[in-house]
Formats: sequence, structure tokens, C-alpha cells
Amino acid sequence: MSQDSQDFESLRRLLALKRHEQPPPGYFNDFSSQVIARIKAGDQAEENPLERLFWEAPWLQRLWAALETKPVMAGAFGAAVCALLIGGVVYSGGVDVQPRDVAGTDTTITLPMQIANASVATEPLLVTPAALSFSGPEASALPESMAAESSAASIFGLVPRPSAQPASAPLSPLRLSGGN
Amino acid sequence: MIMTEPASRKTSHAPDDAPARTEPAPTEEADLVKRARRGDLGAYDELVRRYQERIYATIYHMTANHEDANDLAQEAFIKAFHALKSFKGGSSFYTWVYRIAVNKTINFLKQRKHKAAMSLDDLDFNAEHDPDLVALISEKTPRREVGLTELQEKLNVALQRLSEPHRLVVTLHDVQGLSHEEIAKIMDCNIGTVRSRLFYARQQLQAYLSDYVK
Repeated sequence: MSQDSQDFESLRRLLALKRHEQPPPGYFNDFSSQVIARIKAGDQAEENPLERLFWEAPWLQRLWAALETKPVMAGAFGAAVCALLIGGVVYSGGVDVQPRDVAGTDTTITLPMQIANASVATEPLLVTPAALSFSGPEASALPESMAAESSAASIFGLVPRPSAQPASAPLSPLRLSGGN
Repeated sequence: MIMTEPASRKTSHAPDDAPARTEPAPTEEADLVKRARRGDLGAYDELVRRYQERIYATIYHMTANHEDANDLAQEAFIKAFHALKSFKGGSSFYTWVYRIAVNKTINFLKQRKHKAAMSLDDLDFNAEHDPDLVALISEKTPRREVGLTELQEKLNVALQRLSEPHRLVVTLHDVQGLSHEEIAKIMDCNIGTVRSRLFYARQQLQAYLSDYVK
């Protein structure tokens, strides 16, 4: 190490010149007050999100620097990400997603299938407002067969329906007109 | 070292028309940090004045541009103030601010598409009498000042040819006099890396400045 120091002695003497470089006289007199003024003015010292991320996670910066300086490593990293992505796609395609209950009937898959069949066979998947309304004059006016059909076709028809009783007194429409 | 002189000693440089600044009491840094974290701008002002010269000098030596160094140094202190809540005190405030400034500068240099023209600070009066520098300048040079200015420019051009991490290590160690350990903390790497970067950077510089160094 002492050999190295001797080797670079003249260079170190030359670098001493840098210490003599000085900003204009009086420059530092106002520096701190400028910083404080900018803080008071709400200056947030512009920074991009990447910079903030790097600052909060130094290991990410090191990784980025390694990828930047070593193209082989960047290529390997890209290949690894691609392999992971492809592996994930292949794996998700091969997984059997048909859990069965104790009785052996489909529970998960049949639900969307029923909806699809019903919507194709009878009516569009769009749920009519009538089918959604549980009370009100429209509900009582709907023919039973149509109500049953629409309830089977709608997604709500598959959910245990609360026993909505028609109100004894029909609901009067809301009046918005302001008084006399 | 001129650039590392504590700010508190610079009160004599204040212009005559400026209000007389009293010598700051020797307050502990931790206390100042605690007060600044609570929003005490007076305490933060004191912290800025303590480290402004060192932070500015580091950024200036990295960018070789006074205007860029001014902007980046101010932004580093502003960012540090807003990030004070995340300062856990694991390292000294000084090291922590240094890291902010260094990261900011390196990001700035990476984003800068083209190398900006150098805007160098003037050499102070003492440069002419520095024995190390006098030894480097030929005794036969009729005007020594011209020789120093040329040397300054060549030196800065050579430094700008180094990569950012290598330039930073040379700046912090050979110009600012920080230890390997301090540099390792600032650059968030191990001491071996600092040493190897310093050796490589010196080798490079010596090759670039072969006309001036033996």
C-alpha cells in the first residue's frame, strides 16, 4: 500500500489544486438562507419517483447499477423474468380448477355456467331493473312466470332470495315539487 | 483544508452591511436534528451552515460546474429536510446528507444527456503558495498563475473522463480527505470496493495526466 501511495504521490499533489477552487466570495453567506427560504416556500426539491425509490431501497440502486454496467447480467435477468412469466402461464393453464363438494356436484364451475346458459337461452345477461326490484308496484305487477324466468336468468336468482313481501300500502312515488 | 472549514468560522466573511451574526453555541448535532425534525428551521439553518461547504464542494468536484453544484446542493438540503422523519440516526447526519447529495448528483449526471461546459470556480490566492503545487509547476514558467489555471483545466477534464463512482471516490478521498470507512458508508459499499475504485481511478488519472505527473 505504501508503494501505491508513493506511486501516486505526484498525482495527489496535483489533486490538491482542487482544494483551492473556491466559489465567488460571499457565496456561502446566503446559501443557508436561500435553502430555508425555499423550504418555507414549500419547495419539495423536484425528484422523480425512481429516484425516491432508489433512495429508500439502496439495494435496488445497486441492482440497477449492476444491470447497467454488465449487459450479460441484464440479459440473464431479462431471461429469468421471461422464464418466470412463461412458467407462470403454463402452470396456471394446467391447474384443475374444479373443486367438488361432498355430494359430487360442481360448485365453483357450475355457477358461471348456469348464468351463461340461462343468458344465452332465455334473454341477455343484462338484469332488468324489474328483476332487481324486490318491492314496489312493478314487482307485484310482473307476471309470475316472467319473474321466475328473470330471476333464474339473473345472477341474483342464484342467491337465496329474501322473502320480500309486498308492502301492504303501495309506495307512492316521491314528490319533489316544492310545496304550494 | 479550505473547503472543509466549519461554517461557524466563516462569520468573518460576512459583508459589512449584513447583520452581525453571533457565533453559534456548540450545540450537539443530535439536538439540532431533533429540533429540525420538529420543524425548527433555525436548527436546520445551523445544520446547513455546518455542512454547506463540504456538500457544495463534493457536488462541484463531481460536476465541474458552479451553477449545477449550487442547484444540486440546495436541493439536497431541501430533500434532507423533508426526509428528516426517515432519518433513523443509524449514521451521523453528516453521512446521511452526504448520501443524499451524492445520490442526487449521480442521478443528475446520468440524466444529463450531453456533458455541460465546465464552469470552474476560481483558484484562491493560497494556490500560488502551495508547496505541493509549486513543485509541480516548472520554475521557468514566467507567469505561474497561467500555469496553474491551465493545470486546473486539464485536471478537471481528466476527472470528468472518469466514471461517476471513480470520480466520487477520488473526490471524497484525495480532495476532501475522507477516510475509506466514511466513503464506504456514504457510497453504501464495502471498504474493499472503495480501495479498488480508488486505485483504479488514480491509475486512470495518472494516465490522463501523464504530462504533468511523473
